Amino acid sequence: MIISGPVLPIPNANVDTDQIIPAKHLTTIDDSGMGEYCFTGMTNGRKMLDEHPGAVVWVAGENVGCGSSREHAAWALLGVGIKAVVSPSFARIFHENCYTNGLVPVIVDAELIPRFAAAKTITIDVENETVQADDDAPIAFKLDPARKPFVLGGGFLKYLNSKIPAIRAWEAKRAS
Amino acid sequence: MKKSLFDKIWESHVVEELPGGSALIFVDLVVAHEITSPQGIIAIERDFEDKLYDPNKIVSLIDHVAPAKDTATAIQAQTLRAWAKRQKIRFHDIGDNGICHVIIPEKGYVTPGMVIACGDSHTGTLGAFGTFALGVGSTAQGGAMLAQVLVLQRPKVMKIEITGELASDVTAKDLILTIIKTIGFKGGTGYALEYTGSAISKLSMDGRMTVCNMAIEAGATAGLIAPDEKTAAYLAETTLKPTNWTSLQPDPDAEYDRTVTIDGATVRPVVTWGTNPGENSSIDGTVPADAHPESLQYMGLTVGTAMKSIEIDQCFIGSCTNSRISDLRAAAEVLKGQKVVVPTIITPGSVGVKRQAEREGLHDIFQDAGALWTHSSCGPCLGMSVGVIAPGTRVVSSTNRNFQGRMGDGGRVHLASPQVVAASAVMGRIASPSDVPAAREKVNA
Ligand code: SF4
Repeated sequence: MIISGPVLPIPNANVDTDQIIPAKHLTTIDDSGMGEYCFTGMTNGRKMLDEHPGAVVWVAGENVGCGSSREHAAWALLGVGIKAVVSPSFARIFHENCYTNGLVPVIVDAELIPRFAAAKTITIDVENETVQADDDAPIAFKLDPARKPFVLGGGFLKYLNSKIPAIRAWEAKRAS
Repeated sequence: MKKSLFDKIWESHVVEELPGGSALIFVDLVVAHEITSPQGIIAIERDFEDKLYDPNKIVSLIDHVAPAKDTATAIQAQTLRAWAKRQKIRFHDIGDNGICHVIIPEKGYVTPGMVIACGDSHTGTLGAFGTFALGVGSTAQGGAMLAQVLVLQRPKVMKIEITGELASDVTAKDLILTIIKTIGFKGGTGYALEYTGSAISKLSMDGRMTVCNMAIEAGATAGLIAPDEKTAAYLAETTLKPTNWTSLQPDPDAEYDRTVTIDGATVRPVVTWGTNPGENSSIDGTVPADAHPESLQYMGLTVGTAMKSIEIDQCFIGSCTNSRISDLRAAAEVLKGQKVVVPTIITPGSVGVKRQAEREGLHDIFQDAGALWTHSSCGPCLGMSVGVIAPGTRVVSSTNRNFQGRMGDGGRVHLASPQVVAASAVMGRIASPSDVPAAREKVNA
């Protein structure tokens, strides 16, 4: 799987999920329609989005997605066409939500963020775990091997469903 | 290797080790609220024949918008209600509800040693009972309802030891805000925080819940405290009075990935000045010279401003951090015989807390002071339903997040303890209880 395209450079540190999607929009029962409100909780967030039409990679600052557990943040990003987030560090719940939704979380050294933020195009080879700014040499990054399949092909709940017999056996053993 | 409390809980819940340091972790209890659960419920209904692993391992409730404010939120509540009914899941509807992290312990659903998951980032609150409790996304919560497991990276464990004693004017809220400032707003990322030390032992269960509640505000996966006689006494007073638990303790010389020690005597009452909870100062201090300019611009503050000189527009006491009975008693202590000079909302954390407060006459103290005493919900905390604040409005709040726009677009939030919020409501500026004239007389009497 290759993700390649324009960049949304918002490399501010600590962009919390309230900034990605304010709570007043969490009134649905499904994951649709969130793109419309993406970044509306951030000063100039919407403006950045408008100034970078067609962006597929968000270059973010450290501790991206901190705060509320709302998966709506991942849905909002996907809703505006973002397919990957490049950041020096992810908040734990947002990181997990990226994996379960196929929003590729790319962790790179903090020193590289300015270069990625300045890129016109970023290309990510998800299978081979490399990320490339414009025509620079590709840089290796690491995905969690346990969850890489969900980024590539979805199926998180299907996978868990397939584990139920083993889980029931484990629980029966624990009880005895 | 000598084990921490966290290690013991983790290892007793590993169903399967996965590559890269992850594991399938068994979940003893899933808590489902109306905002983040419908997506998982619908996915399971659509793709997995509506089958749950074990409905008895789920508790559901309405808390964020209670009662519904419009058609969309009514549909959320109705989705949860109908599901709970057809799946025979324990359900706390409006009238019998509370903020999830308040009502779950109050009813006695929690016992030491459990793993608990909820689609809510402040689930760590329940770690006060010696559990591994954590917030997860909607899909992960759905997975835990479908298969009773989470896919988790094993966190490292940080021992946070608070030695000595807290001063009499220092609260659990001041302590956790100080811890967050010490380790940093993201200093806990990748860790479970195991709180220990004499100052932690001396905290009430309510105080311990406040300390565990905000572990996420340092980025931590969870916060937890080993159970003791206070834990047992609290559980014995709950609705369910659970007795089927054994006390789990860390080994005496357990090894930790990191240890942070804070002398309890050095902790002072604090208030935030910035846009994350780590950006705080002593209430008697000033906005520091190294404050982040972007935070100050958003908050409309300048370096060197005395915290107590900051004039405010509104006050809020509530949220899963500080809406329990001891929080309300502390606020009432300050508000007794006083008048608030800014709009002030006081929201109990659960129907149980509300009724207890009313038995004690606290609601009269609040209403005599001119505050709005509401039913239980998350209320203004997340700027979603009642009590949303206007752009530029400055509120002193007992909640846990002072993020940009958290309580309403452009709103400015100062986090503090309930007693500081109460004092500020009376003074119209950030203030300590000791600044309120009548309160001072009471203390001296
Ligand atoms: S009170 Fe606030 S922080 Fe707590 S669960 Fe409700 S919205 Fe979240």
